[in-house]
Amino acid sequence: MTTTSVDVLIIGGGATGAAALYDLARRGVRALLVDQLDFTTGTSGRYHGLLHSGGRYAGRDLETARECIVENRVLRRIVPFAVEDTGGLFVATPADPADFPARWLDGCAKAGIPAEPLSAAQARAAEPALTHDITAVYRVPDGSVDSFDMIHGFVAAARDLGGDAWIYQQVTALLREGDAVVGATLRDTRSGEARTVHAACVLNATGPWAGAVAQLAGLNVSVKFDRGAMIAMNTRWVNTIVNRLRPAADGDILVPVGTVCVLGTTSVHTSAPDDYRVEAWEVSKILAEADVVVPGIRNGRALRAWAGVRPLYEPPQAGHDEAQGREVARTFSVLDHAVLDGVRGLVTVTGGKLTTCRLMAEKAADAVCAQLGISAPCSTADEALPIPAATAGRYHRLDHRLHKLEHGEMPGDLICECEMITRPQLEAAIAAYGGQPVALDDLRRDLRLGMGPCQAGFCGVRAAGILQAVRGQASAEATAALGAFVDERFRGVRPLLWGHQLRQLYLDELIYRRTLGLDRLPDEGVSQATTAAPGEEAAHG
Amino acid sequence: MAEKRKVNRCTIAATQGRGSDVIVIGAGLSGLLAAVYAVKAGARVRLIATGWGQQIVSPGWISVCDRADDDVIAEVRGYAALHPEHPYALAGLDALVCALDLLQDIAEEIGEPVAMRPRDGHNLRLPTMLGALQTPLLAPAGIAAGDLTEVEEPLLIVGFAGWRDFYPALVAGNLSAQGIAARPLTVSLPAERGSWDDWPADLARRFDDSAFRSAVLRQVQPQVKGAARVGFPAVLGMARHAEVRREFEAGLGCPVFEIPTLPPSPAGARLSNGIRRWLLRQRARVQIGHAVLRGNVENGRCTGVEVGALGHANPFYADTFILATGGLYNGGIQSDEAGRLWEPIFGFPVSGPPSEGRADWYQGRLLAEGGHAIHGQTGLRVNAQMQPLDGDGAPVLENVFAAGHLLAGFNPLTDGCAEGVALATAYKAVSAALAARA
Repeated sequence: MTTTSVDVLIIGGGATGAAALYDLARRGVRALLVDQLDFTTGTSGRYHGLLHSGGRYAGRDLETARECIVENRVLRRIVPFAVEDTGGLFVATPADPADFPARWLDGCAKAGIPAEPLSAAQARAAEPALTHDITAVYRVPDGSVDSFDMIHGFVAAARDLGGDAWIYQQVTALLREGDAVVGATLRDTRSGEARTVHAACVLNATGPWAGAVAQLAGLNVSVKFDRGAMIAMNTRWVNTIVNRLRPAADGDILVPVGTVCVLGTTSVHTSAPDDYRVEAWEVSKILAEADVVVPGIRNGRALRAWAGVRPLYEPPQAGHDEAQGREVARTFSVLDHAVLDGVRGLVTVTGGKLTTCRLMAEKAADAVCAQLGISAPCSTADEALPIPAATAGRYHRLDHRLHKLEHGEMPGDLICECEMITRPQLEAAIAAYGGQPVALDDLRRDLRLGMGPCQAGFCGVRAAGILQAVRGQASAEATAALGAFVDERFRGVRPLLWGHQLRQLYLDELIYRRTLGLDRLPDEGVSQATTAAPGEEAAHG
Repeated sequence: MAEKRKVNRCTIAATQGRGSDVIVIGAGLSGLLAAVYAVKAGARVRLIATGWGQQIVSPGWISVCDRADDDVIAEVRGYAALHPEHPYALAGLDALVCALDLLQDIAEEIGEPVAMRPRDGHNLRLPTMLGALQTPLLAPAGIAAGDLTEVEEPLLIVGFAGWRDFYPALVAGNLSAQGIAARPLTVSLPAERGSWDDWPADLARRFDDSAFRSAVLRQVQPQVKGAARVGFPAVLGMARHAEVRREFEAGLGCPVFEIPTLPPSPAGARLSNGIRRWLLRQRARVQIGHAVLRGNVENGRCTGVEVGALGHANPFYADTFILATGGLYNGGIQSDEAGRLWEPIFGFPVSGPPSEGRADWYQGRLLAEGGHAIHGQTGLRVNAQMQPLDGDGAPVLENVFAAGHLLAGFNPLTDGCAEGVALATAYKAVSAALAARA
């Protein structure tokens, strides 16, 4: 077993953990981040892509609204490569309470959110797909943020400053010495290798898993799980984020992200941090509500549905000193277990939202530094991060790739037409794994392979053939990789099979069963035993 | 090795349909065969379709009863006896046998022969582009030449560098793992600008060019080294397919076969275009790209159909109508988010999975054993004349006959009988339609 020593061990490779890694690196603290899967596979990757203006909360939760508008401006400044400035609209229809817009506008003013009134005609000129039944409409500075890009940006910037991150590392135990947590033992979920990490402090940034990780130290952190479903439609129905101007309810937002439009969301209490079910009523509800503001969208082509689990933190009951133990109320929570439970060396951060991840990281890092006696202040809010090399090479806008293809700047044949991925790009992505195992689903997260309308019907077997060629694998192994990818892709589209997407999946099934005979090869059965798919795509189909 | 052989001898009397106007809706395998039959029977035929059917995206072979280990027709006969609701049972075995016969005739006539195994009437064993084995009864001759029933080893599997739709090592590896010795070879294609998204049909057309294919052939020749057969992706020519194959067999000194790749299928395109040209030569009308919007009904009969045109609908009249618009994939049956299923032209009752809504349409895995209820249980219920039935089991319209994937009672993706059902029911629909008219 190998042993490593760091100042701080961060558990959780979502937005908060990655931002904390960057924050601590800037303070000169040596930190290591670990995640049980890949980066962005939990709540951070399973959201709709909204960079909140705070308008969403102006009606009921001013503190959150204020945090959002401040952090919205901060993220535009520091991770501009991950943000699209779509702007946002709040649209009231005759179906919505008539007294709400005035109340909402008052909240925006108090929270400092600029809300510009538009006429219905102006709104429709900007977004022709909007309903003609508009009773009030305002423009707010919403945006969309690509959590993959942002998180990779944080990690890359932290690495430049001496931080490090390991993925596919499951925390098997937290090490206790008396009243202190002094590190953790890890197990590599792919190779099985065990490691020990000694740390002066552990930061638990695991979102919905915060309770389970705290439990490893024998501590009780009560996190409730709130599941929300989202649907990606196959085109950008709107270019501006469209919110319903009404009290928060199911199905009240449309977010244009990349080439798709994500509709959200629902709110269902559940009992597990990884309950990613999407139920039929959720699909119906989301489509029906979106159809009120963008008529016709329910008859559009839905590509993929997924769910994320929001961690809702329940404060400790009376008797604890809440004011100190939880520095910021309601919106998100930083729990200093030295104060709360008398156990040093462990800080938990949970709750919150992607838009406020940097602030959450700042407050969590403050608590960590206080424990370590480090006085360096946070300095993440002003300076733009360098565009990570990985982002420059791997992430793209679809039109950029098309331009390159058409001008001969992207050689090789096109393996995934939907996302415009060429053979050399796929080969490079496979090579980047060195000798590590690589699933087609890993390549999906790297390149967006199989995320377009055909959901891997065509590119799946091509990618398997190329994987085999690059790796020198046996055919059986490549076939099993394809089988696993077929299963993974099907999960997200199964709730959406009617009309056009049902026809698409008929064609996919025809290719797999008849043209390929995938179900006739003995190794196809392996797919059921291969790794359960880690996270979903953030906000992209 | 596969060769041409007739299942049986069926004759179509050229007087059977004389004086009769038949409109066939749909240009899949069912619609095309129905139109050919009606023309051969002397009817005046108009074929109307929004586009080609599933033969364009299918591998090209003809599955009749894939699971049969020996005599395919005997297996179907036994199955039909036990499953009276299956389209084979409704159409009858004679219709299947005659339909296969007619397909072989017309395919031969248009120069796109389909072949089966000689003598025994057993299924072929054909390699897929993943190296799995499929067992259809018939296939286009170039594909049927890959029959591995009596394996002559070793096989040489040839792919093209930088062409995304075929991976010879994947094929050879999986074949070898099943005990069929095969080795991969990758050769390069003569360069062409902008070839970053060559579809199978694009490549097939380039093989029509003799300089292009000679450049490929020259690279394979020195590598044959004792191979008993050489397999290529199924892109060996479009207009000159037969010539390309002959040339390759002569140049390589051994049999050459094709392995179907991803859609669209050059073999399906050749068959479709060949039959279309044949129909036109027989003075049938062929309208591809036209949507039939609805049928006009009076007194239990269809008087005509309305066909979409710019700004208005054009009516077309006939004595009998063959509805071969396909299932859920081709649009003969529509579905929506609420779980409704409907037939859009005549509004015929559609049976589907028993549950309310869409919840049970699909199993948890795409390749789950037994397939999905939505494709196994959806379709029109018909009688033995192929007339769609109402809830009481009575024909809805006396002169409309349905065929192909529109029908209930089988799963075209998992039952191994997709093309057989399409052909048999088309044959039966036309013969019932002409008999009713007589």
